[in-house]
Amino acid sequence: MSTTLDEMTVRTRATTSAELASGRESRETVGDVTSANPRMVCRHVDVFYGSTQAIKDVSLDIGKNEVVSMIGPSGCGKSTFLRCLNRMNDTIDGCRVTGSITLDGLDIYDKGLDPVPLRAQVGMVFQKPNPFPKSIYENVAYGPRILGLTNSKAELDDIIEGSLRKAGLWNEVKDRLDKPGTGLSGGQQQRLCIARTIAVSPEVILMDEPCSALDPIATAIIEELIDELRSNYSIAIVTHSMQQAARVSQRTAYFHLGDLIEVGETNQIFTNPKHKLTEDYITGRFG
Amino acid sequence: MSSLPASPRQDDLAAGHTVRRYDRELKTLRDIILDMGHRVIEQVQAAVVALIDGEEIQAYRVLDREPRIDYLSLDADEEIFRVIARRQPTAVDLRIVLALSRIAGDVERAGDKAVRIARQALALRDQVSAVDNLLDDDLQSRFRQLDHRACCMFERSIEAVASFDVERALGVFEDEPELFGTSDALRAYLSREDLKGFKPYQVVCLLTSAHAIERIGNHASNIAEQVIYVAEGKDIRYRNREILIETLRRKASA
Repeated sequence: MSTTLDEMTVRTRATTSAELASGRESRETVGDVTSANPRMVCRHVDVFYGSTQAIKDVSLDIGKNEVVSMIGPSGCGKSTFLRCLNRMNDTIDGCRVTGSITLDGLDIYDKGLDPVPLRAQVGMVFQKPNPFPKSIYENVAYGPRILGLTNSKAELDDIIEGSLRKAGLWNEVKDRLDKPGTGLSGGQQQRLCIARTIAVSPEVILMDEPCSALDPIATAIIEELIDELRSNYSIAIVTHSMQQAARVSQRTAYFHLGDLIEVGETNQIFTNPKHKLTEDYITGRFG
Repeated sequence: MSSLPASPRQDDLAAGHTVRRYDRELKTLRDIILDMGHRVIEQVQAAVVALIDGEEIQAYRVLDREPRIDYLSLDADEEIFRVIARRQPTAVDLRIVLALSRIAGDVERAGDKAVRIARQALALRDQVSAVDNLLDDDLQSRFRQLDHRACCMFERSIEAVASFDVERALGVFEDEPELFGTSDALRAYLSREDLKGFKPYQVVCLLTSAHAIERIGNHASNIAEQVIYVAEGKDIRYRNREILIETLRRKASA
């Protein structure tokens, strides 16, 4: 049965005094922001950097075993929104987040919640591979050790092997675990960072342009890895490559000037987007 | 909701890309197909004149000009490959490229029908001395009526492709009942037992020609379906076709 545009439009906005002060209302989101099986639920999220509003009333679910990609032009707020999901914005002075974000029903912005274990549950992979200046082994061992996830060396070894295997790196590094992580190629370093994230058993993995510093072959390996990781984790990825979003994600969210303009099945977004701004962006008609 | 920025592409769905060369590539592709369409219209008109009026020279012209349409079809394929490889089109651009590929096929096959009619026109008068008045006024009128309807549909469908115009595309479907009615009546007329003055092979020639003309109208409908696919993002082929067309008509007239 076909769904009409009206049925698919989800109104997520009530005009706030801040918006009235800034002279602009946020836009309605087109598409279904909910997931049938949500792991993270974000509702009416606003982010302010001082008096500047970077995110306007964004609601979006990150479902279990799905990859959600976030696309949009530079400065649209997609990375800011991603960083809200594990409270990375807490480290920025003057940054204020309102609204509600829950992980398996628990409010991650609860005043009593320690953000450090949260960041283990919601891990992050950054644009530029950033291995610690330590051995490959120590890079992966650092998280489980600091969080007290293991009781013995054998247990830690198992976690390291399992994480490196899941990151598709084990066969390439198993004979040189004591060598520096920084000595690996860019693509291998990024997979080492993914292994480091996996080692602390996260539920959600956030990826902020994880392939933008990699060549096409390393990018293809990471994309294949993302597809494999989906069976165990929920993944939210910010990417400037629309082809990558189309290839790796099941749902796509398009951001524009802090608004979540449209959310939908990736196939629908890339073949028949409902909002003109989405279509103009993905077809290269912007600006 | 705040107002959206003005559309950069205005009326042309294929224009407005930041990379203007992309616009030019899509325009080149569409121009090839429009060129094919206009040539096919000329071919059909010439072939039907050859059939009805017995102008053999027109039939031979149709046969001579046919390869040019085939070559244009190959050019269109080449452009399609190039656009896909270079631009990886998405959304409306992807629909445009897919639709133009299908339209090129329909236009090329409509051109084949013109050749079929031209061949039947030549075969019809083979070994016949007095050829001018082979078709009486009634039969000529029936063929002209069918040709007029099919050509109008085809012309309109090509005009719709020029601007991906939904209203023009819907106009093509409006002519379908008359096309089928005229075609059925002509076939019934040619199948009468008391049809005089024709040898069996000549009746077959006329029936084949009538069928070919009707098929040109069918190709026009297929092209119109693709125009709607581009403009509305809805594939109206096969499933619930009539319901979708009616919905779009109501939307267009609202």
